[in-house]
Amino acid sequence: MKGEGKARVWERHQKAVPTADDPGGKEWGFVRSCFLQAASPYTEGIGCKVMENDLGMDLHEAAGHTSCGAIAFHGDTTTLQANMVVAARNFSIAHYDLGIDNFFAYCVTSFGNYTEIIELWEHEPELREYTERTLEETTGRKFWMPKVSGGRPSVVHASDVIYANIKKIAKKAKYSLDGIKATDHLGCHYAKIFPDESIGGGEFPQLLAGMIEAYGGEIVDYPERRHCCGMGFRQCAFPENRGYTAACVYKKMKSLKKTDPDCKLIITNCPGCGVFLDAEQGTIAQVMGEKFDVHIVDYAQLAGLMLGYDPFKDCGFNVKVVPIEPLLDKIGIEYDKSKTPEERRRPFGPE
Amino acid sequence: MGELYAELSKEIEFSHGMHACMDCGTCTALCAASEFYDYSPREVMDIVQSQDDDKIRELISSNKIWYCGQCLSCKPRCPRGNNPGAVILALRRLSIKTGYFAESEKGRQQLLAKRKFGDNMLNRGYTLLPTDPAPVRFPELGEDWEYYHKHMKEMRQWWGVPMDLENSPGSARIIPKKDMQELRAIYKATGAVDLMDKIEEGMAKKLGGKEEVDEFWKVWQDTSDTKNYKIKGCEKK
Repeated sequence: MKGEGKARVWERHQKAVPTADDPGGKEWGFVRSCFLQAASPYTEGIGCKVMENDLGMDLHEAAGHTSCGAIAFHGDTTTLQANMVVAARNFSIAHYDLGIDNFFAYCVTSFGNYTEIIELWEHEPELREYTERTLEETTGRKFWMPKVSGGRPSVVHASDVIYANIKKIAKKAKYSLDGIKATDHLGCHYAKIFPDESIGGGEFPQLLAGMIEAYGGEIVDYPERRHCCGMGFRQCAFPENRGYTAACVYKKMKSLKKTDPDCKLIITNCPGCGVFLDAEQGTIAQVMGEKFDVHIVDYAQLAGLMLGYDPFKDCGFNVKVVPIEPLLDKIGIEYDKSKTPEERRRPFGPE
Repeated sequence: MGELYAELSKEIEFSHGMHACMDCGTCTALCAASEFYDYSPREVMDIVQSQDDDKIRELISSNKIWYCGQCLSCKPRCPRGNNPGAVILALRRLSIKTGYFAESEKGRQQLLAKRKFGDNMLNRGYTLLPTDPAPVRFPELGEDWEYYHKHMKEMRQWWGVPMDLENSPGSARIIPKKDMQELRAIYKATGAVDLMDKIEEGMAKKLGGKEEVDEFWKVWQDTSDTKNYKIKGCEKK
């Protein structure tokens, strides 16, 4: 029954994301994430490698795309009106300058922001008129509405694109998660703001669980699975507020450990979660004296690992707080064992 | 209905986030901030719904509205279709526009938000720059992160994500001048620059001049804690 219920929910919440084998599904435009660029730049790197090398996609990026500004919006230094026009500018550049119709965002905050704006434009025609007019007046550019999922106004997240092609990736994979327990942590701005825009919905999102299953892993459910990572914009950004972040991570880790102490792998799709679920384990170890050693792996890094990319040079596991080697050993992933852990992480000498 | 409530009602986020709250507290039960802080989105919704300007003024002068982490976990759970996280966004803008934000410790952190997220957007087209998660402010990122910061350009090249490329696609590239001009024009025309100016002005009024605002900023840069700045005339005895 449990499986049937899940299948029913998942059936109701699907997006029609073009795969690399669909007509036109190889041509994509994308925008980068401020957070990833600043705190884990290798994530976009491995994501692009998988899409280009393994899925044969042509990725297009404009030099003039800017950040969507949503971190400044949720950090209360900008306006919704500014975000609407900046979004319209990025869409316009993708369509009219790059000539592409498929468009994904690497950032979950951007995905939520663009989705909210598209919904506002759809529900309040005067806001769309305001955006079109202001875009024209400030930049001379023409408005374009992206319709990426099923021909309706929408954009998708990079993890949606990986998921749409997951069977192909899993088939090509050099390694599997066979015998590995894992769980997912969806970005709040992916699954919670607009649950209908989350593959599998907001209650039991299928996106990352589906990836774990496709790679042969065993999914672990735990009570605080959907609790926020605690990134919190102004909460993580300023050290004096970061107790909030650490407390959220602690709550999740305790809950996971209590439910299944053998589950040492969380797959993420949001930049903030990927960084803080890992880093705050260090804080917790120092402050509370408790170690969890749960590996936090982004969906793009996971695809890279499964396909046999180098864990350090390609996937960027150099700078994680929880050392990745125990997970690599468990999966059977090869890496240079003649080097010390420090040598593997520091390609330009010890200092 | 008072003036503050009338002003609040003009915000798009408010009209989409506040319908009719029945005070059930579902939002507070699942709120990440409520677990950590003395904070309740139910209470916030209740105060706003009262349309009582005195209560709203007290709320937007306090730390409370700044406790929310904007995860928006409350939105899909509200049985009445409210969005407390969006109401918070509207309250925060009202707090900045009226200057009340500078009355609270957490509100005054807006200067940091403005000079980081806001100024980064206007100067570089990104809210965060590669130099922002500096080891001194993020010690939990560990020693390998310190190493990365020392070798940033080479490491990014090694990972295949070189930075600072000009007139080119790429990670943390230099966005062309013409595009930056367009972005600034948008921020000016849509009230974002005004909002940022209000933060600087409100802080100057509270702290006693622009020099004091710069001192506040310097104290944060030096110590990573705004509480180390003491407002003149408010020193504890």
